[in-house]
Amino acid sequence: MPIFKAPFNGYSVKFSPFYENRLAAATAQNFGILGNGRLHVLALPPTPGAPVAEIAAFDTADGVYDVAWSESHDSLLVAAVADGSVKLYDSALPPASNPLRSLHEHTREVQSVDYNPTRRDSFLSAAWDDTVKLWTVDRPASVRTFKEHAYCVYAAAWNPRHADVFASASGDCTARVWDVREPGSTMILPAHESEILSLDWNKYDDCVIATASVDKSIRVWDVRSHRVPVAVLNGHGYAVRKVKFSPHRGSLLASCSYDMTVCLWDYMVEDSLVGRYDHHTEFAVGVDMSVLVEGLLASTGWDELVYVWQHGTDPRAP
Amino acid sequence: MERALDRQRVLLRHLQPSPSSGSPSHTPQSACVSASACAAGDLAAYQRTASFGDDVVIVAAYRTAICKSRRGGFKDTLPEDLLAPVLRAVVEKTNLNPAEVGDIVVGTVLAPGSQRGIECRMAAFYAGFPETVPLRTVNRQCSSGLQAVADVAASIKAGFYDIGIGAGLESMTVDQVRAVPKVNPRVHSFAQARDCLLPMGITSENVAQRFGVTRQEQDQAAVESHRRAYAATQSGKFKDEIIPVSTKFVDPKTGEEKPVTISVDDGIRPNTNINDLAKLKPAFRKDGATTAGNASQVSDGAGAVLLMKRSVAVQKGLPILGVFRSFAAVGVDPAVMGIGPAVAIPAAVKSAGLTLDDIDLLEINEAFASQYVYCCKKLGLDPEKVNVNGGALALGHPLGATGARCVATLLNEMKRQGRDSRFGVISMCIGSGMGAAAVFERGDCADELCNARPIKINNLLSRDAQ
Repeated sequence: MPIFKAPFNGYSVKFSPFYENRLAAATAQNFGILGNGRLHVLALPPTPGAPVAEIAAFDTADGVYDVAWSESHDSLLVAAVADGSVKLYDSALPPASNPLRSLHEHTREVQSVDYNPTRRDSFLSAAWDDTVKLWTVDRPASVRTFKEHAYCVYAAAWNPRHADVFASASGDCTARVWDVREPGSTMILPAHESEILSLDWNKYDDCVIATASVDKSIRVWDVRSHRVPVAVLNGHGYAVRKVKFSPHRGSLLASCSYDMTVCLWDYMVEDSLVGRYDHHTEFAVGVDMSVLVEGLLASTGWDELVYVWQHGTDPRAP
Repeated sequence: MERALDRQRVLLRHLQPSPSSGSPSHTPQSACVSASACAAGDLAAYQRTASFGDDVVIVAAYRTAICKSRRGGFKDTLPEDLLAPVLRAVVEKTNLNPAEVGDIVVGTVLAPGSQRGIECRMAAFYAGFPETVPLRTVNRQCSSGLQAVADVAASIKAGFYDIGIGAGLESMTVDQVRAVPKVNPRVHSFAQARDCLLPMGITSENVAQRFGVTRQEQDQAAVESHRRAYAATQSGKFKDEIIPVSTKFVDPKTGEEKPVTISVDDGIRPNTNINDLAKLKPAFRKDGATTAGNASQVSDGAGAVLLMKRSVAVQKGLPILGVFRSFAAVGVDPAVMGIGPAVAIPAAVKSAGLTLDDIDLLEINEAFASQYVYCCKKLGLDPEKVNVNGGALALGHPLGATGARCVATLLNEMKRQGRDSRFGVISMCIGSGMGAAAVFERGDCADELCNARPIKINNLLSRDAQ
C-alpha cells in the first residue's frame, strides 16, 4: 500500500469524509519542538504500486499538530498550529490565497481540532493553554472558550449524535464532557492517574468514550456509570498518543503510541488486542480509519512517513 | 528557545513512567502490565550499540619510529630488536602480567616464513614473555600487521583466549623485495596470475593510467603527506605512540659504532615541494608518473597492539582506546592492486553496520600516491579526514609493520579528537591484488539522543542521553 515520505515529522493524518482516496497529513519540523510546519493534502493512487500524489501543501511558520476536514465542504481543512493559531485552508485554492483565515486566540500550542459532524458548521480546538475553543467558519473570533482544565488540553471530540455535546482530554488526568448550552462542564471523569492524551466517542453508542493515557492503557467508559471503566486495554509499551473508534464497527478502535506501534482493539471481547503494526521506526503519533472504505487505516509518526493500508495487510508492503 | 524547552518538557512528561504502581485505585491488572513494560528498558529502541562485555577492545598500541632502510636509524638493528621493545611496551605500560597473554600474532612479509617465525619467538623471550605464551606469524603482504590484529580479535571473539597481541615487523634493510625466482610456465596462459608478478611500481603506473591520476595530483599528495607528517611530529603527536629503541648505529663514513636511541621517524622531508618533485624522473616506466618522490619509502619498523575482551579490560581497570568492529579483505585485479582500499573499505564499513558517512577518520596506506589519490577520489572522502598525520609517502612503509603502525596512529588521533571522532577505518592495498580494511570505534562512545537537546533537570531518560 502507498507510503508518503514527508519532509518533516508526522503529527496527524485524517481521511477525507468526501473522497475515499484523499487524506490530509499534518507535519512539523524537528519533532515539533522548533521550526516550521507543513500541511499536506494527498491523493491515493488508483492502482496499487503507484506513488501517492500530493494535491496541495501549505507551509506554516510553526509546526502543524493536527488537521480536520470540514464536514460541509469537500476541500476545506482546519489546522492546529503550534504557535497557538487555528488556520482554515481550502485545498482547491492555490497556496497564495491560503490560509483563508488564521484565528489566533490560543496563547499556547494547539494540539487538536475536531469538526462538528452533525451540525457541520462549527469546530473545536484544544490547546496547551488549558482551554478548548468553539469556532464557526463564518466568524472571525471564537464563539466560546471552555476553561476548566488545570493543565494542557490534548484533545477535544464532538459527540457523533448530539450536536452540542463534546468531550475533552487533559494532562490534568481528567476527561470532561461538555454541552455548549451549559455554562460549565456537565461531567468530570477522573479517567486515569496519568495524563490523558486522547479520547474519542463510540460512533454507534453515544454514551461510550475511550481515553488514552500516559499510563500506557486505553480505557473505555460509559458516561452513565463512570465509576469503573467498561474495559481496560493494556498492551502498549509507552504512553498512548491517540485513540480512534471505528466508523464501521461499534466495538473496534485503533490507537497509536510512543512505543512506535499502531494497535487495533475490540473492547467487547476478552482478547481485546486485534492487531498490532510495528511499521513505524519512531513515535507513532497519528492514526485514522477511513469512513468510506471499511478497514482502511492511515498512520503517521516522527519517522516522517505516512502509511495507508488495509487492515490485515503489511503497511510496508509496496 | 524558551518555547522549544517548554514543548520538550510537555512531551517528556508523556514518557514519564506511571507514577503510582502501588496506588490502591490501580487495578492489579494494569499494575502488572506497567511492571513488565519497565523491564523493557528506558528508550532501548534508541540505542544503536550498547557496550557489551564480549566486545574486543584495544587497550594499548605502540610502534617504533619508522626509519629509512639501509640509511636510516635502524640500518644496523636486527629485526628481533625492533619487535622486542614494542612487545615489552604493550605489557609494561598496562602493567599486564605477560603470562596472561593467550597468543602473539606477528605480521611479517619479506623474510622467509619459518626463519622469521623463530626470530619472532626469540623476540618474545627478549621482551620478557614466559615460555607458556605462544607466537605465530601471518603474511598477507602489506596488510599483515592489520591481519595480525584482526586474527587476534577473531580468536578472542571465538573464545580461544581473552587477551592477545597483534604485532607487525619489517626490516627492509635485512630482507629486500625480490622477484619470484622460479616461475611456473603455466603462468603464461593465466593473465591475472602473470599480473601477480608485476613489480608494484608498474601496478601503480597501471592505476594512474587506467583511472586517470595525473603526475601533478600524485606529487601534490606526496607534498601534503610530508607536510602533515612534519606538522604532527613537530607538535609531538607521535610521542604517545612511539617507543624509543636503544640500539647501535655505525657511521657510514668513519665506520665508528656508537649507541643511539631512536625515537623519531626519519623519512619525513619538511622541505618537500611540488617543484622539486616535478623534476624527479619516473622510476618504473619512461613515460610514467611514479617517482621516488611519490611512492612510499622503503623502511624498517615494528608495532604491537594489545587486545582483550572488554569485560577483562574493565576488570583490570585498563583504559579502552578503541573497539575492534569489523574487518574485510577483498580481492581485486592484480594489475591494479592499488585500488584495494576502494573495495575493502565499503565492505568493512558495511559489515560494521555503518555507512561511509559515519566514518570520522581514516588511515589509508599510501603505498603509491597514484592509488591513494584514486581511492580517496573513488570513495569521495573528505581530505580532512584521511591520513591527517601523513602517511607512508612521508613516514615510510615497513610492509609487515604498517597495519600495526596505523592502529597506533589512528586510535591516538581519535583519542585526541574526542567526541568529534567516533568511528575510524584503517585500510591498505595488498600486492597480488587485494585490499584489507578494518573499522574501529572509540571505546567510550554510546549514541546520543540527538533529536533533543540534553536535559539538565528532571532527567528521566537513560544515562546515555546525557
